[in-house]
Amino acid sequence: MALTKVYDAATVFKHLNGILNVYKPAGMKVKHVRNAIIGNICKGLNEMEQREPRKLPENRPLLGTGTAADHVLHNIASQTDLSDHVLSAGPRYLPRDLICTTVSSLGEHTSGVLLLGINRGTGQSISIRKNRPVRVYHITGRLGSATETHLPDSRVTARSNHRHVSADRISGLASSMQASHQRKMFELCGVDLQTQEAYELACKGLLRPADDSQPVVYGIKLIQFERPHFTLEVHAINETQEYLAMLVNDMALELRTVAHCSQLRCVRHAHFDVRDSLLRHAWHLPGVVKNLRQQRDILRTHPQLLRQSRVELQATQ
Amino acid sequence: MLKAGKFGLGISRSYTAKAKRVVLAQDKSKIKEYTPKTTDSHENRVYVWGFQETGALGLQTNVKKAKERYTEMVHHPTRLQFSNNNDITDVAAGYGFTAYAVKRDDGETLFGSGLNTDSQLGFQVKGNPKDPANLDVIIYPTAIKLPRVQGESDEDMQVKSMSAGRAHLVILTKNGTIFTLGNNSYGQCGRSIIEEERYSKSALIHRIPQADICGKDDEIVQVECGQDHSMFLTKTGRIHTCGWGADGQTGQGNYHTAGQITLIGGDIEKEKIVRLSCSSDCVLALNEAGDAFGWGNSEYGQLDDSEHAQTQINTPRALKLTKSIGKIKDVAAGGSFCMALNDQGLVYTWGFGILGFGPFVEQTSKPQHLLPPLFGRNDFSNATSVVSIGCGVFHMGAVNSDGDLFMWGKNRFGHLGLGHKKDQFFPFKAAINGKVTKVAYGVDHTIALCKAYF
Repeated sequence: MALTKVYDAATVFKHLNGILNVYKPAGMKVKHVRNAIIGNICKGLNEMEQREPRKLPENRPLLGTGTAADHVLHNIASQTDLSDHVLSAGPRYLPRDLICTTVSSLGEHTSGVLLLGINRGTGQSISIRKNRPVRVYHITGRLGSATETHLPDSRVTARSNHRHVSADRISGLASSMQASHQRKMFELCGVDLQTQEAYELACKGLLRPADDSQPVVYGIKLIQFERPHFTLEVHAINETQEYLAMLVNDMALELRTVAHCSQLRCVRHAHFDVRDSLLRHAWHLPGVVKNLRQQRDILRTHPQLLRQSRVELQATQ
Repeated sequence: MLKAGKFGLGISRSYTAKAKRVVLAQDKSKIKEYTPKTTDSHENRVYVWGFQETGALGLQTNVKKAKERYTEMVHHPTRLQFSNNNDITDVAAGYGFTAYAVKRDDGETLFGSGLNTDSQLGFQVKGNPKDPANLDVIIYPTAIKLPRVQGESDEDMQVKSMSAGRAHLVILTKNGTIFTLGNNSYGQCGRSIIEEERYSKSALIHRIPQADICGKDDEIVQVECGQDHSMFLTKTGRIHTCGWGADGQTGQGNYHTAGQITLIGGDIEKEKIVRLSCSSDCVLALNEAGDAFGWGNSEYGQLDDSEHAQTQINTPRALKLTKSIGKIKDVAAGGSFCMALNDQGLVYTWGFGILGFGPFVEQTSKPQHLLPPLFGRNDFSNATSVVSIGCGVFHMGAVNSDGDLFMWGKNRFGHLGLGHKKDQFFPFKAAINGKVTKVAYGVDHTIALCKAYF
């Protein structure tokens, strides 16, 4: 199909459906990201070629007596409906005209992949959410100081020495926590352990949780250690920013030191990678349209994102 | 809204306006220093769980409290206080009692707790030594004094290998001396049977130099006890046995009880045996090339599944059952089932009981392997494989390369450590805070030797 350049705002709006993969910066709330994106889309649409104002109907009876001879009135009546003009009615596209839902929210301090469903993409966003795909995080912890909320922007509550912590100590603990979480995952999937079903499920390996009440961590791996910072790669479902920050705090206590979470980045949400996500400088209409098309291709190659039939889980999902 | 301050690794710390007031205005000098109390600096820590009333777990310190309700069993792996103060190097679990090999400054090398009805934990005196009231149950690990001849140092008395049976304990020390304690009614202590011997309140610890068993040129490397018999494995791969032989478990070619330690032959005569495993009356042995041998009770077709097979085998024979498994790395024999681990890290089980194949499989005469996902292999840890296996009379366990312990089988008195008393039909991870290095499987309790993370 030959590509044609579109100048018409209405055509663009008609095709503005689907899942959008946005890179959410840290320190910005999801609400603000959403508003910024929608605002920029509207701004972009309004800068394109707009629909002409409506024409007034022909042969409209002129109001008033003795006006039939007034040629000014005749002139107005034959022209366009000025009440429909952009200058009187305001911009054609307003933020409230767009529907936008998040697939799952990210905390304020978390950066990374944020999926938004635009217009008719809301249905897709709901199905993705219901399938509970795995999110992958890179979490950086800072050893040596604990804070009230376990995040960097709160008061420091304790300090500690961390000379005895080494990379293999952290990875040893990480692998053990991973095994314990996988055991918990099995308890949360809602089967009786003493049954044949439980055995068959256990043979399959990893399972999805039955509901979204409890966070489940599938993998924890140390990927970088540069004192005092260490970075973990965490695969999880139903997690929150607070839960992940708590995880860093608990790991540090287990290592006989304290730490707080200095950085959280969601690097993957299902098959939506951070490399494809829309950076802040590209939050404009052409960027959004291009990104929607990319995500549509991802959804087409992985239809199980929308319709999941298996209870077991693969790491690449 | 955002203001970044650079520090370390290029990680910028951003503050919101409110956080800026709270965090930057904080008086840094008043922040408390967190210095965690490290309970011990020992390499190994010990976790115990299962039936407590016998005192085998050694968790209680108060006799009165130990008699209270709800203390009879421990469902969750619990850290042994004794291991905080002592450097424990090895553990052995018998039927209701436990032995700990320790390294200490005061020269004691062996401790024990649990049932002492047959003096399997030595002659223990309560309170005043002038009033020798023997304790039938020892609730906290107590030193077992091994008798020394002149010139034997603390280093000589360090435990090299030990094993416990129903009511006897066999110790092999560094200098190659064997000590046997406890019941000798079947000759399991390696001495002649005395009619109507009283084992309770007995101070007798039998001492056997290894040269008496295997001669001057060889040395004993492992001792292994079944229910009422003892086996000694030498460096050249020979096996010597003594004790109860009613099911042929001594492998001496007869069904007699033997108080005399005898070298056994059969199919293992020319093989170099490297591993020996037994928990009650069925014995499995492994040679250097990875072939399995067995003798003893075969009521459930553990050793031979052919028609008209003998249910008791009194001579060691090479197993035909395990030929298809490949090279075997480890074997374990339980009460009515057997396990084997091959060089690919696959765990095979066969026999009768809960074999780990779900609630419907109660008996297989052909070894079948459990799927690797049951032992923690998945997409997130795809290199994980089982490194060691073991079993008690009613339960089985496997440790994987991450140091996680997986348990399954009958859950008598919660000895699976899963937090409940229900049977477990497939391997399930026991929650232990450490990397498991060795597990001692008793008949109603389990002990795990672990390494800490920090």
